[in-house]
Amino acid sequence: MAIEKLLKYEHDNKFSLTISKSESRLYMSFIGFAFIALFVGGLMGLLQVLVRSGYYTLPAGIDYYQVLTVHGVILGLVLTTYFIIGFQYALMGKTVGISETQFRVAWLGFWIMTLGTIMSAITILYGKASVLYTFYAPLQAHPAFYIGLALVIIGSWIACFVNWRQLYVWKKKHPGEKSPLLAFMVVINMIMWFIATLGVAASVLLQFIPWSLGYAATIDVLLSRTLFWYFGHPLVYFWLLPAYMAWYAIIPKIIGGKIFSDSLARLSFVLFLFFSIPVGLHHQLTEPGVQTTWKFVQIILTFMVIVPSLMTAFSMFATFEITGRRKGFGGLFGWFVHLPWKDVRFLAPFIGMLAFIPGGAGGLINASYQLNSVIHNTIWVTGHFHLTVATTVILTFFGITYWLVPHLTGRKLTPTINRLGIIQTIFWAVGMTIMSTAMHIQGLLGGPRRSAYSEYGGSEQVAEWGAYQVAQAVGGTILFIGIVLMVYIFIKLAFFSPKGNEEFPIAKEEMDAEPTPMWLERWKLWVTITIALILFAYTIPIIDIIQHAPPGSAPFAWPIGNN
Amino acid sequence: MKKKTLPKSSSQEPNLKGTIISVSIIGLIIVASWFGVFGLFLSR
Repeated sequence: MAIEKLLKYEHDNKFSLTISKSESRLYMSFIGFAFIALFVGGLMGLLQVLVRSGYYTLPAGIDYYQVLTVHGVILGLVLTTYFIIGFQYALMGKTVGISETQFRVAWLGFWIMTLGTIMSAITILYGKASVLYTFYAPLQAHPAFYIGLALVIIGSWIACFVNWRQLYVWKKKHPGEKSPLLAFMVVINMIMWFIATLGVAASVLLQFIPWSLGYAATIDVLLSRTLFWYFGHPLVYFWLLPAYMAWYAIIPKIIGGKIFSDSLARLSFVLFLFFSIPVGLHHQLTEPGVQTTWKFVQIILTFMVIVPSLMTAFSMFATFEITGRRKGFGGLFGWFVHLPWKDVRFLAPFIGMLAFIPGGAGGLINASYQLNSVIHNTIWVTGHFHLTVATTVILTFFGITYWLVPHLTGRKLTPTINRLGIIQTIFWAVGMTIMSTAMHIQGLLGGPRRSAYSEYGGSEQVAEWGAYQVAQAVGGTILFIGIVLMVYIFIKLAFFSPKGNEEFPIAKEEMDAEPTPMWLERWKLWVTITIALILFAYTIPIIDIIQHAPPGSAPFAWPIGNN
Repeated sequence: MKKKTLPKSSSQEPNLKGTIISVSIIGLIIVASWFGVFGLFLSR
């Protein structure tokens, strides 16, 4: 019996394939592109905080909103999507493998995304698309901006199809076996991404492109914003779930432990799939033209996300505690001491986890109807998502970079780079604490987001904001130093670090873990429930928005937009 | 009469006291910050 159990355990945990050199090139192309985006987008962020401090003016007639658009598009959309797709391909390649055809199709996706990114980037750099990353109508950009965005989405869909196919082929070869945990998670994330991007694709193809080309004189602003946020909120979870993949299945290995519960991890991902999409209206709580009832319904669905979020928190603490106790650390919190604080592969994601505590709490405030009226369109919101995506997610991505890049390039993470990585993490934590806290407080004092520096005619309230804006410039400058350090580390790891074999750390389950129930792989059921929830939450509001639409808006291409 | 004893489980349940306290602290932070901003809403 014991031998049988051991054999089954070995069998269940054997998923670890070798990544070939050509595969590595594919994954590294995505990740390398993400780091170029990090540098360009980070530089724009630095310019923004300097301008908003009131002590700096942009040279050569560069417009603040152009800089802001580059920052949002290149960090929020380009960096994240490229890194995530590259990371997810690496996870799939390592756990279920990639065929020759899938590999070629994946490259096609890369080039379509890259063509789209270059089109949109050139349009923004020429000042023809200063519409910010939300591209709210009636601000109108040059058509090339929207066409470029559509190509990025189409390219990312190719990644969805390839990832689904990868798991499908694996399942055919392994009938009756549960799929590897990381492959399961990637497929969930790509299902969510595909369903969510349908909304923004519809808006871009049917509304923005015809309108920007002049085929339609006006645009339904409310519909376009509703379709944007149908995509915009799950976008946040598209960023977050790859970080959770690392937390659930990679961090335990780095700290010398095991996965706390394979079933819990899968269930939390299924719940994220259900409750990430039918919730976009909580970004539109002050929007006229949407019935309060449907805003309320979507707030309830938003709050359901607390369940898998706290499941994740519990799972992380439990992994730390069980591992620590096994190593002999007793007491209520003695286990905390054992954590590998000097290993940057752990430290960076751990600080990311800590940032998610105020980040998550802020998210619930944003999604509460009355509380939203306190912070809506203030820089509190900017402070909030700099905690979630720009700390929790990005520090986890940095944590992944320290082992994934050398693994793919056949190099080693040296003690020197590890030390530099720890310094980088500290820079990030300090810079973001200063910048994000100042943003939160200024937001509570009514400071607006999105806008360039203004004294608003010298009003008394505005005088309260000055110190916080200077603090943001200080924090932002420290963060930019962190970005320069990280880009240096990436280049070192990719090209100059000593040759060697860096581990791809995938944690195993406990030997006596309860078997994962097979019902967790009922894909058709999960997709059906997801679609049913979306139809429930969105059908009536969207019919209402279309039926009672006010006259559409003519384009506003000036003073910002398309100059 | 001899007292019946339940058969011992093969694996011991892990001690997760620290975990439950840590997650509860997170819950408290969420509730406290929510009510903090709610207070601000009421006062304005």
